[in-house]
Amino acid sequence: MLSFLQVLSSGIAIGCVYGLVALSFVLIYKATETVSFMQGDLLMLGGFAGLALHLALGWPLGLAAFAAVVGVALLGAGLERVALRRAIGQPHLVAVLLTFGLGMMMRGGVASVPAAAQDMYRLPFAADVVTVGPLVLAASHLWVAGATVLLAVLLATFFRHTRAGLALRACSEDARVAALMGVPVARMHTLAWALGAGLAAVAGLLLAPITFVHLNMGFIALKAFPAAVLGGLTSLPGALAGGIFLGVVESLAGLVLPEGAKDLVPYVLLMLALLLFPQGLAAGRMDGRGR
Amino acid sequence: MSVSIHSPSQYRETAQRWTRCGRVLAVWAVLLGLSIAWLGADFALGQATLVATYAIAGLGVVIIVGQAGQIVLGQGAFVALGAYAQALLVQAGVAPPLALPLAAAVGALGGALASLPAGRLGGLYFGMSTLAFALIVEELLVRWESLTHGAAGLVVPAFGFAGWTADAPGAQAAVSILVLLALLALCARLLQSRLGRAWRAVREDEMAAAACGIAAGPTKLRAFVVGSSLSALAGGLYAHWIGFISPEQFGLVFSFELLMLVFIGGARQLSGAAWGALVVVAIPQAIAVLRDALPGDWARSAGLELVLFGGVIVGVVLLRPQGLARAADRPSGGAA
Repeated sequence: MLSFLQVLSSGIAIGCVYGLVALSFVLIYKATETVSFMQGDLLMLGGFAGLALHLALGWPLGLAAFAAVVGVALLGAGLERVALRRAIGQPHLVAVLLTFGLGMMMRGGVASVPAAAQDMYRLPFAADVVTVGPLVLAASHLWVAGATVLLAVLLATFFRHTRAGLALRACSEDARVAALMGVPVARMHTLAWALGAGLAAVAGLLLAPITFVHLNMGFIALKAFPAAVLGGLTSLPGALAGGIFLGVVESLAGLVLPEGAKDLVPYVLLMLALLLFPQGLAAGRMDGRGR
Repeated sequence: MSVSIHSPSQYRETAQRWTRCGRVLAVWAVLLGLSIAWLGADFALGQATLVATYAIAGLGVVIIVGQAGQIVLGQGAFVALGAYAQALLVQAGVAPPLALPLAAAVGALGGALASLPAGRLGGLYFGMSTLAFALIVEELLVRWESLTHGAAGLVVPAFGFAGWTADAPGAQAAVSILVLLALLALCARLLQSRLGRAWRAVREDEMAAAACGIAAGPTKLRAFVVGSSLSALAGGLYAHWIGFISPEQFGLVFSFELLMLVFIGGARQLSGAAWGALVVVAIPQAIAVLRDALPGDWARSAGLELVLFGGVIVGVVLLRPQGLARAADRPSGGAA
């Protein structure tokens, strides 16, 4: 039972990261109809940026993390202005190739820094533990779960109660009608990319204490696709829930199934989900369109 | 786009098509001759082998993406299936030319499986299911060590039959170019057929196609079966030419290379696969040349290659969102 709870907590923690990446993917996809294949690279960039500011420049961790998120968000907005907006209205293939190429450039750029290419890094509090009675939980897992809840609340407030959030939602529902209502659609696209990139960077910083910060940490974003599809590809809460579900199932599969089978679980689940519930798991309940 | 309506003008059209084919073949022959003269016979023929093999793999993507209008994000998996099937069959004692169709059949099976979950859906879901399939295949190739030797890879003997082996670059180039030409002819015939017209109809408008009695699901499934068997065939040949295969050769980057190949060459024409293959094979060479020309140590870092390759993709997509070959031929619909 105890080991089950511990596996559950690590599953929820990693699931939060999947969920956040899936959230960023869905946010961008909904607002701009652009398929982003560089969320993993933005995540990696966020992790490295935070680490570099903290370790190399000696900034306090909180400030470094905040600066890294803002920096990556600005990068996302900048890329949207320069390149990504050209993919709007084109076939999906254009956006897929464009973002994949940009992601490759980011990965190459980080790899050209010798210190980044050779080592793996951990954040200082990664090894701390919290004991609740007989249960020993990693502090980092609690951090991740707490930060995700906080972020979800912030995002919900943003989308429900701010002008920009409402405008972004309107834009995702129907860009043409939103434009007629006076929503600056192009600026909303930039905002969506900034938010998406920033969220990916947050996921990278949250992932840093769970695994290491290294060049290939962005591959974790591949598991965000199943999470996004499980959530129906158009629902933000669905994406987050899908990610957490996936993280938990994957961790439990690691407990039960033989070595190595665990990594297959998300993709098998994705195939099954597409086969059995072609409209997404939440489709029946949400009547097609989630928020 | 001519639909084969039987009329006198059809004969003129056929004649025109043949002249066009002849002209394209002549251009390629001249290109091959020039590169042999410039780069040396062995190197040029080796590269020609690669270009032809990539072109066959790309032909599969042209069918799926360009003709049927679906997204495929994991085409590398079909190439991997073909390569591993070929390697294992040849190791088991099957003659390579006989093993090739079997490898293609294994790829076709994979294609059918990959497209099965998305039978009722289109667009992005399709891409997601092929991506998941590719990741599953890659993981299985690594984990199923008793069959595939995992990450350590497999050694593949040279291509050949009845005592003759294709180990010289010239023979390899000849085999792959002949196979490519045969497949091009076959695909051209297929595109003229009912199935080819059905693919284009589904690509342009699924609902209109359905109204004309074309069931979208089975039509897409057939595109996947044909496209993945072509790529698997290329994988079988590739395994022989490289002589050693391991799972990471066929990863996500390879799948995207194939997508880029088709994007550059133009997905609407079969010949686009060949032009795209030429560019995709040439890019790493050009990057290597550029690296040697650049001063300083930073040019030696592994990152630069990634940056340049990514830069090429971004540049091509931004400058010519419709692909390099037919900039005028604007694709319609959001599915491709």
